[in-house]
Amino acid sequence: MRAPRSLRFRLLAGAALWIALALAAAGVGLSTLFRDHVIARFDIELEHHLDQLAANIDVGPDGRPVLPQALSDPRFQRPLSGLYWQVQAGDAVLRSRSLWDVVLDLPPDPDSTAHRHNVMGPQGQHLVVIERSVTLADTGAGLRLAVAADKSELGTVMRAFNVTLLGSLGLLAAALILAAVVQVQVGLFPLSRLRRGLAEVRAGRAERLGGTLPSEVQPLVDDLNALLGHASDVVARSRLEAGNLAHALKTNLAILANEASALDEAKAGPIRRQIELIRRTIDHHMARARAAATKGVPGSSTAVEGAVAAIVRVMRRLYEERGLAIEAQVPPGLVFAGDRQDFDEILGNLVDNACKWARGRVAIGAGSEAGMIWLAVDDDGPGLADAEREAVLSPGVRLDESVPGAGLGLAMVREFAVLYGGRFHLGRSALGGLRARVDLPTLP
Amino acid sequence: MRVLVVEDTPALGEQLVMRLTAESYAVDLARDGEEGRFLGETEPYDAVILDLGLPRIDGLSVLRHWRGKGIDTPVLILTARDAWHEKVQGIDAGADDYLAKPFNMEELLARLRALIRRAKGHASAALTCGPVTLDTRSGRVTLDGAPVELTAYEYKVLDYLMHRQGQVISRAELTEHVYAQDFDRDSNTIEVFVGRLRRKLGNSLIATVRGLGYRLEAP
Repeated sequence: MRAPRSLRFRLLAGAALWIALALAAAGVGLSTLFRDHVIARFDIELEHHLDQLAANIDVGPDGRPVLPQALSDPRFQRPLSGLYWQVQAGDAVLRSRSLWDVVLDLPPDPDSTAHRHNVMGPQGQHLVVIERSVTLADTGAGLRLAVAADKSELGTVMRAFNVTLLGSLGLLAAALILAAVVQVQVGLFPLSRLRRGLAEVRAGRAERLGGTLPSEVQPLVDDLNALLGHASDVVARSRLEAGNLAHALKTNLAILANEASALDEAKAGPIRRQIELIRRTIDHHMARARAAATKGVPGSSTAVEGAVAAIVRVMRRLYEERGLAIEAQVPPGLVFAGDRQDFDEILGNLVDNACKWARGRVAIGAGSEAGMIWLAVDDDGPGLADAEREAVLSPGVRLDESVPGAGLGLAMVREFAVLYGGRFHLGRSALGGLRARVDLPTLP
Repeated sequence: MRVLVVEDTPALGEQLVMRLTAESYAVDLARDGEEGRFLGETEPYDAVILDLGLPRIDGLSVLRHWRGKGIDTPVLILTARDAWHEKVQGIDAGADDYLAKPFNMEELLARLRALIRRAKGHASAALTCGPVTLDTRSGRVTLDGAPVELTAYEYKVLDYLMHRQGQVISRAELTEHVYAQDFDRDSNTIEVFVGRLRRKLGNSLIATVRGLGYRLEAP
């Protein structure tokens, strides 16, 4: 059997089951106790009447039993009231007025001590009879005394009690189940908080699970935070290591390049080209490693407006000598669901490429569309012919097969866009040059 | 012009010093962040070439320290760290230019010249004062269009004065910007260089301001 999925359902079902069982047991127990009590009271009352009867009965001169004084309970006088007495002395029978013309049919019974019978009474009543045989001391006459009462009175009292009991237990059950619901709700609240916290992390609005939770849940939160921290540590460490390797290689390449420049051009040219190739290969694989490592880490988001402003600041500085007009129009509030460094890499490469080719103007635009954000970089440079654009972005050409070299920056942008589930497109700009547009995911 | 190079890789540091010296710069080399920070703070450089991955104190911290102290010497970051977020950090820390390794030496020199020129408020790479023109790109000096041969130190003195036309420059200041730190300085030699420049370019170009120094002015 499959375990029920919901913890709440399991807790509530368990509570309901135990409440039902406990209340049923209590109901049965109370009802039994009450019945025993009522029956005992019933018997005691009958014995009391029997004692009164025994104390007052006498035998007349004719040997017939007589009752000089009526018994105190008026029901003995009211016909068919449900409470009766009967005295037998041989064949003579004396009975209460309430029995009217009926004689109780007592089974032949030699027992002289008080004992019970169940017999049919007038009008088919089920009667409980308590009888006793006595011998009068003065006359030596043997008498069989019996007092009977209608059993259905017991049933009426029991039914009334059971209805009240059932109602009370029902109310109690409802109150207990309600209390259980509240308890489960309160008890599971930290888990709801945990779930909301995780959703925040997954959506990139938080890096860690925050707040203090109950001691049963806190270890889980700590473990999750440790796991999240570990993931980002691993990424940071591998970036650092890869970065250190790349930096060391590039510094040595710089030395080689400078040595080569001392040679004549015929010898220096091929060396410089190889050095450039090595540099681009390093860049290519560094960026790929960086992007691949970032993709699996939850909890990253980048505010587009600030990131664009930073790149514009850098570009204005780097291209200050050329006096390019670099403008950006970014609506506030746009968020990229990804790492800031990746965003810088994407936009940096796009704007750098535009600045290299621009005659005087580069324009950066951004917006959101169909659940994604888009970035567009326009320049007024020579642009790319349709065929060239096709070649740069032809489908099926895997970047790791393409030679790192021409257009590496744009190839990297496409690589990042694909990794993030976005798109990259090159077109003609209204400024006259190239328009590069990339669509990227935003926060849900 | 006096330039500080902060670079911890010895071979690359030597290459930079050799090439910059050949281009008539007075060059000091610092091999770690601490030495670089100290020199940048205490010596009057016209530009700094700063590596980022340095022993003791990293380059960005050095740069932030200088900017925090109000030292606005133009700084060119020369580093293998070429990710865009690193360039953002560098520029935001106060760098004036950013060049990634491996680099083309000619490009580095061009950017360095542009940096110094912009810092002194000149828009063009060719500086002119009356009949004299000094092209910072080629290192050529002409008088009325005719080339003039100058020694390395004569060029350095003229270069510094051309960048600060109209200002009175003391002999001590000239000395500081013409010689590297560990050079045995003698301010009397400045007088010799100025004398030679007057002979080659005409007496009226460099005026002596008595007790204060020299001033370059169009005659």
